[in-house]
Amino acid sequence: MEEQIAELVAKVAELEAASGGAKVTNTMFAETFYYLTIPLMIIIHAGFLAYEMGASRMKNVLSSGVKNILAFAFMIPTFYFFGWWVYWGFPTGLPGAPGPAGISGVEYANAIAWGWGESAQYMGPNIADQASGVFFGAFALFAATTASIMSGAVIERIQTVGFVILAIVLGSFAWVVAAAWGWHADGWLVTKFGVHDFGAAGLVHAVAGFFALGVLINLGPRIGKFNADGSANHIAGHNMPLTVTGLMLIIVGFWGFLMACVIVPGEAWSWFGDKPSTIYGTPITLSALAFNILMAIAGGIIGAWIMTKDPFWMMSGALAGIISTASGLDIYWPALTFIIAFSAGLILKMCADWLERRGIDDAVGAVTVHGTIGLYGVIMLGIFASGYPALQGEGVATISLMGQIVGAVVFFLCGFVPGFVVSYILKMLGMLRVPAGAEQAGMDTVKVPAQGYPEGIPASGAPAE
Amino acid sequence: MGFPYDEANWAVVDGAMYMGAGGSMPGVFTVIAMAICVAVLFVGHRSEAKKASRF
Repeated sequence: MEEQIAELVAKVAELEAASGGAKVTNTMFAETFYYLTIPLMIIIHAGFLAYEMGASRMKNVLSSGVKNILAFAFMIPTFYFFGWWVYWGFPTGLPGAPGPAGISGVEYANAIAWGWGESAQYMGPNIADQASGVFFGAFALFAATTASIMSGAVIERIQTVGFVILAIVLGSFAWVVAAAWGWHADGWLVTKFGVHDFGAAGLVHAVAGFFALGVLINLGPRIGKFNADGSANHIAGHNMPLTVTGLMLIIVGFWGFLMACVIVPGEAWSWFGDKPSTIYGTPITLSALAFNILMAIAGGIIGAWIMTKDPFWMMSGALAGIISTASGLDIYWPALTFIIAFSAGLILKMCADWLERRGIDDAVGAVTVHGTIGLYGVIMLGIFASGYPALQGEGVATISLMGQIVGAVVFFLCGFVPGFVVSYILKMLGMLRVPAGAEQAGMDTVKVPAQGYPEGIPASGAPAE
Repeated sequence: MGFPYDEANWAVVDGAMYMGAGGSMPGVFTVIAMAICVAVLFVGHRSEAKKASRF
């Protein structure tokens, strides 16, 4: 008998040791999972940098790069200082009451997201916390993505500091509010209207795209963009291959962006012990993402090719394909993803032309690709996914067309209103646009003590019709 | 198409969760997607051949 008890005790100890090892392995896996999304999302920024510099004329190429790099640099500390706090503090709206999931509200945010006092333990190196830093990093990169989306639209005439202020308002406040409301299990858009935006088509892309529109209205077009009769001239960037390669890099980075939207299982903060979930606690697999992202890229490219035959719009079509389906990449059937992405590729250039005819000079089509197509994606999900539970649990709100339309309107306002108001104030202060003489001379000559191409670039052949 | 289960609760889902699961719509969408690919190749070739014939 004693021998048997001793045997059992030894067995239990062995099992406990094995289970402890498995726990450590899972924690390391979870930490590594989010850690790796950060460099993947930095590839988005390599892409935006190349895309934007290629879309600039030679006289502006380096200043466009400086602006883009600086936005990234300011986004990280400002998101650390207050953006992370806004995300956790206001999912239920003002005044920041706690929500039903118990992970929101000003009190909760005060306890985990300030870089001082008791909450500082979650905002710096801590051997007992292997989650806060990687979550913060992934969200900071979402924030930086919004700033980069706006950055391309305003090239060749905006002041650097004015732009950085706008980037901070967008990346560390405007989209964060939209994310708190529509991308948090306690968010009022989710709990009350069943809004579902898994891959952030609305709360990242549409917010950033329409923020850019608000800025563009006050910023005005580049000199020479429009004729006296209102017709538009095409201002070609100096390096189409660089732009197209940049767009492809953005798409590479999107795999990290969408991966970071998944909550891994088995941790104290996970929704489940044994399966991954979306940020709403609804189930998802990385396989679902692999099926649907690939089909979305393909559909968007093919749709844009048939309409334009232009590699810039084809690669923009790939982005539009992902963005138009991002809200439901967790639940779309792959062929349906392809069809929706194809339709987004078809309408992309028409939407950009429509905006241009209204006197808006969006140098890279960011308002259309991210804003218009982002909202299109949010609403498409309402058409196809009505009746799906928007959250984990019983009696939760379900996805509906009306709910998605409400979400789309809120995302539009979260972007457009602060973009317009802050850029208007900057305009009044003389901090928005460079003087006409400086714009004509070229922003590199005015701002950058270096040359992009000291030995020049050989001319290429004439374009096809 | 709606949620493919009787009860709108994720707790009842232990398998396919895509839109139209268990019904005919996924097949219909697959056929439409295939048709789009073929149609695009047809239209694309016709347009390119027309342009190339000018040279």
